[in-house]
Amino acid sequence: MSVIDVRHVSKSYPRRGGSAPVQAVDDVSFAVERGAVVGLLGPNGAGKTTTIKMICGLVTPDSGSVRIAGIDTRSRRHDALRHIAAVLEGNRNLYWRLTARENLEYFAGNRGRSIRSARTDVDRLLRLFQLEAKADELVSSLSRGMQQKLAIAVALLAATDVILLDEPTLGLDVETGYEVREHLRGIARDEGRTVVISTHDMPVVQDLCERAVIIAGGRIVVDDRVEHLLRLFASRAYHVTLAHGVGAAQVARLAAASEGLVTVEHVDGRASITADLVRPEDVYALVRVLEGEGAVIESLGTVTTDFEAVFRKLVAERAPGGQRALGQEVSHA
Amino acid sequence: MLEVFRANTRLVSIEMRRYLPNTISMVVTFYAVFLVFFLGITVVGSPETAAADTKYLIVSVVLWFLALVAMQSIGFVITTEATRGTLEQLYMSPVPTRWILLARMTGTILVHLVVIATMLGLAMLTARQALAFDIATLTPLLALTITGMIGVGFMVASLALLFKQVQSLLQVGQFLLMALVAVPISQSPLLELAPAVRGTSMLRDAMTLGASWADFGLLAWVLLAINSAAFLALGLLVYAWAERRALRLGLLGQY
Repeated sequence: MSVIDVRHVSKSYPRRGGSAPVQAVDDVSFAVERGAVVGLLGPNGAGKTTTIKMICGLVTPDSGSVRIAGIDTRSRRHDALRHIAAVLEGNRNLYWRLTARENLEYFAGNRGRSIRSARTDVDRLLRLFQLEAKADELVSSLSRGMQQKLAIAVALLAATDVILLDEPTLGLDVETGYEVREHLRGIARDEGRTVVISTHDMPVVQDLCERAVIIAGGRIVVDDRVEHLLRLFASRAYHVTLAHGVGAAQVARLAAASEGLVTVEHVDGRASITADLVRPEDVYALVRVLEGEGAVIESLGTVTTDFEAVFRKLVAERAPGGQRALGQEVSHA
Repeated sequence: MLEVFRANTRLVSIEMRRYLPNTISMVVTFYAVFLVFFLGITVVGSPETAAADTKYLIVSVVLWFLALVAMQSIGFVITTEATRGTLEQLYMSPVPTRWILLARMTGTILVHLVVIATMLGLAMLTARQALAFDIATLTPLLALTITGMIGVGFMVASLALLFKQVQSLLQVGQFLLMALVAVPISQSPLLELAPAVRGTSMLRDAMTLGASWADFGLLAWVLLAINSAAFLALGLLVYAWAERRALRLGLLGQY
């Protein structure tokens, strides 16, 4: 059984002045299995935050249903909340005039746990996040990285099946960001909890998430394994270097020969062509055009692609109003 | 629920200590308000009624403070939590938020009873007037009066949940509360419909005239109980409606 089950969820918000409402989320469906690490991604204004808040029971959907561990968040909101915890605004989710330990104890109490019964878990989490030495210091005096780790510790203390994190590595230095990623990996691997991450930090998605659900224009545009997406896009992107330059007319012919994004840069008088093709086999058509133009090909190879590039391409291609094929020329002196 | 109450009372007491200058300035402000009225009674009031007027004033100022704490603090809590970013975290608890807020209000009142006792002592010392403290009468009177006040507190919380920036309204409300706690219930039968008026009138009679619980008569107690229960029920209903609306419009994370 899926631990998160989002079915045909839609949400619109009224606009001031009585004009047509804004459709934030439009018929979104997806499910997440227990123990999975999933990235919920999308550009700003895509409907990601509304989706997250509907999963957390903080926004009621207009239609459709959200179930956490099989429990409907609309009809049995409080029962569903026993199975999900979230870090929605990072360090802003904490009481800054309380110490790290007091924060953990307060949130445990608010979920109905006594300080005594939570103490072992509080100590374990402080140790896990290397916050023991700062346990009795005010949150306001902690560094941003420590505050972020404490906010995650607060969510973990709830011992829920699902942990949802909005921008868990935002504003963290490389070292702390890595540390947080390792903790999250451990939570899924060792404790079997489901982790949903919403982030703009694509290296985090590439490193941590097994699956990516990409939302754009209020709709899901991609729901696939990260590894599969990387492979798919790696096999589509090619780099060709010519022994000479090309003109604007040739660039247009190259773009017309294939469906995808073709960019041409000129470096030291040589044309450096990057073709991101919708159909990998279009590379032959591209080579034929170059041969027809009498071009001298110095090198041809695939481009190593990262998830950030994959994300940009997916959003550009599949988002409502996105462009599917472009021909661009960039010149460097 | 006991753990939620404990956690919230602890939070209020810790924050009160950590924001000590705020706590001190609160006591100083109320003492200053008392002094202004007390000087008025001493300078321009009738010497024959000065003692009775002063007792009336002490109890009214203290009850005003109690009413502010009970009715308005939760509005400030919602506004502050929304600004801090912790309101959504409260809403992610499996314990219904209205119970968390009830625990926060009760904790706030309990912790502020220490401040109220300090203010009462200061005012009595300054005016050199003694008040009656019959625990058997004051305890049920306070409990019932505060119950009704908490109901109004939930209505204020509803406004804060939907509109967030309600500070100006709360400031205006302070003067309305002053009128409510100062007016005797005997002034008009319509005041039976107002929150806290019957309770504060009975408390004032108990503390200034030494009236015991038996002196009030059954009808007064029944009217107080009905008024308090009605305002608590109405407050919870209004809050439930405001909460549904806030969840529908996605207002929890907004400020």
